[in-house]
Amino acid sequence: MVVFSFLDWFWVVAFILLMIVCGALFYRLGKRSMADFFLAGRGLPWWLPATSVYATHSATDTPMWISGVIYKHGLRGIWYTFFSAWCAISAFASTRIFRRSLAYTQAEWQTLRFSGLGAELLRGWIAGWQVFMNMFVLGWVGIAMGKVCNYLFGWPEWLGLILFSSLCATYVLAAGFWGVVMADFQQGVIAFSIIVIVSIFGISMAGGPQQIISKIDSLGQSWRLNPFAFTGLTSGEFPLVWFLTMLVIAVIGGFGMGTSIDWYPEAQRIQSAKTVRDASYSIWAGSALIVVRNSLWAVAILAFFSMFPHIQETAKYEMAWYRLGFEFLPVGLVGFFFAAIVAIHISTISTHLNLGASYATRDLYHHYFKPKASDKELVWVGRISTLILLLGSFIYGLMMQEITQWLIFALWIMAAGIWLPSILQVVWWRFNAWGYLSSWIANLGLSWLIVWILPEFHLIPVLPDYLQFWIMMALGALIYLPITFLTRPEDMDRLVKYYVMSRPLGWWKPVRQEAERRGLLHTGGDREGGK
Amino acid sequence: MGWIKTQWTSEEADQWTKEDYIVFVISPLVYFLLGIGVALSLLLIWYGWVILGASLVLLVLMIKIIDPKLKAISHDYEIKQKKYLEELERIERWEE
Repeated sequence: MVVFSFLDWFWVVAFILLMIVCGALFYRLGKRSMADFFLAGRGLPWWLPATSVYATHSATDTPMWISGVIYKHGLRGIWYTFFSAWCAISAFASTRIFRRSLAYTQAEWQTLRFSGLGAELLRGWIAGWQVFMNMFVLGWVGIAMGKVCNYLFGWPEWLGLILFSSLCATYVLAAGFWGVVMADFQQGVIAFSIIVIVSIFGISMAGGPQQIISKIDSLGQSWRLNPFAFTGLTSGEFPLVWFLTMLVIAVIGGFGMGTSIDWYPEAQRIQSAKTVRDASYSIWAGSALIVVRNSLWAVAILAFFSMFPHIQETAKYEMAWYRLGFEFLPVGLVGFFFAAIVAIHISTISTHLNLGASYATRDLYHHYFKPKASDKELVWVGRISTLILLLGSFIYGLMMQEITQWLIFALWIMAAGIWLPSILQVVWWRFNAWGYLSSWIANLGLSWLIVWILPEFHLIPVLPDYLQFWIMMALGALIYLPITFLTRPEDMDRLVKYYVMSRPLGWWKPVRQEAERRGLLHTGGDREGGK
Repeated sequence: MGWIKTQWTSEEADQWTKEDYIVFVISPLVYFLLGIGVALSLLLIWYGWVILGASLVLLVLMIKIIDPKLKAISHDYEIKQKKYLEELERIERWEE
């Protein structure tokens, strides 16, 4: 338990008020239209969605996770956090294409890229899945805050979960995405500042960089300072093949849409940017901040390791960064630290409340239930959806202990088998809705088989995750590629319209030629992009 | 940097060109070097500063290469966006 002084409580109350008032101030803008409630009117300069990307992906459980991998693996553990690098290429490829489509959500994009029943099935599936996923993430992140409050004040876990998510919901309900992004900006600044402060404090408390290095050396563990300390090509707990697989997944994934679970919140920020250029820079800069943040955390955790090198329990060393803050910061700053944790927490909560509500409103209610609904009605549906997500997240959060393992598995399978199809849908004109839909279904079956069922019956050994990824990718292709070729290509009218609007990258030659034949594109200029 | 195009017409900017492909290589490299460079620099390891410096040089280069093109794309697209948005709403309301 940590004891707060008056100054500590002052920081906490002041910051919480600032965050909530700052968000709620944009009530009038948020209620103007659905575009305002979910995309801040599509008019934001790049630095606002950029800080929102950064703030959203800094959650209460993120420092626990990073503390865990760095404490266990040393500096090479930084590569576990490198998945955010998908934005490196995405910022200049899929972001540009998606921004030009103007789709509110990834689910809506499916009906712009594909046509007919397959497209509608895809939209309905992705929308429903995103409502569920956002509720789940809210529960997951919410209960992490409950655990932090339990560690700090001895509160029951449900109290931290419900209190801070509810406080956050006030400005999301009032101002929608305007509230989210404006609060994210100051939350991002507060969070980044405290990460720098705690890291520097941690390093100095450990005696400075030289002392950290010499302590780690004296423990005979200098490999911890090497980010490339592989344990072999395929052997050990950090094989080179895992590293290369991770690089391929992260970097090449940037050509697709939905190759990372983080694509969905980013897609909202892409559409909120006022131009294509702003969209590109926001995604790039937001992720660059995440890369820098991870490095700051990594060095702070190395400092912690040099002071406490013999912790065996994962749950204990995962609290390393929090311990640095609460045990070493001076009185007064501890309150600032907790306020920053609240900022880190509610920036993530606000995003997922609004994002889940956008799928429920735009893709389910508006598109399928009431296409003629007015903007005023849709804003209210957005608010009701936000409230339902909030209440659902409490239930998820409280039952999270039991279902975490299953849901981590669900997250993994969502990423593995649809990775390549999520790229193909962007870069290859012939890939159709049935191909993409079948890849989701195939992935679901294959991942159960390969990850759980076959190893359980000793028909195959338990495979390392990088091998699971490649096997699922190959087996999935054996299903969705024949289905793609056995079903008709998408309607050419739809493809031409999509091509002219979005100018996708990759293999689109027949569509481009048709667009030129119809006089929708100029035929001059170079043609490096078309194949 | 004569090999990099800095003046774009909107039609040229809509194509995927060598500038895009160069940025596809540089951009992940910047993240990669930035991640390692910040960590090693904080530990005061000398080559950490070199790596961090290299990442910043590449970042400037990347912006110089892609920014003129992104400006041209954005300018051209903003003109068409209103019409596209109206069309999008018609699709959403099942009018198309």
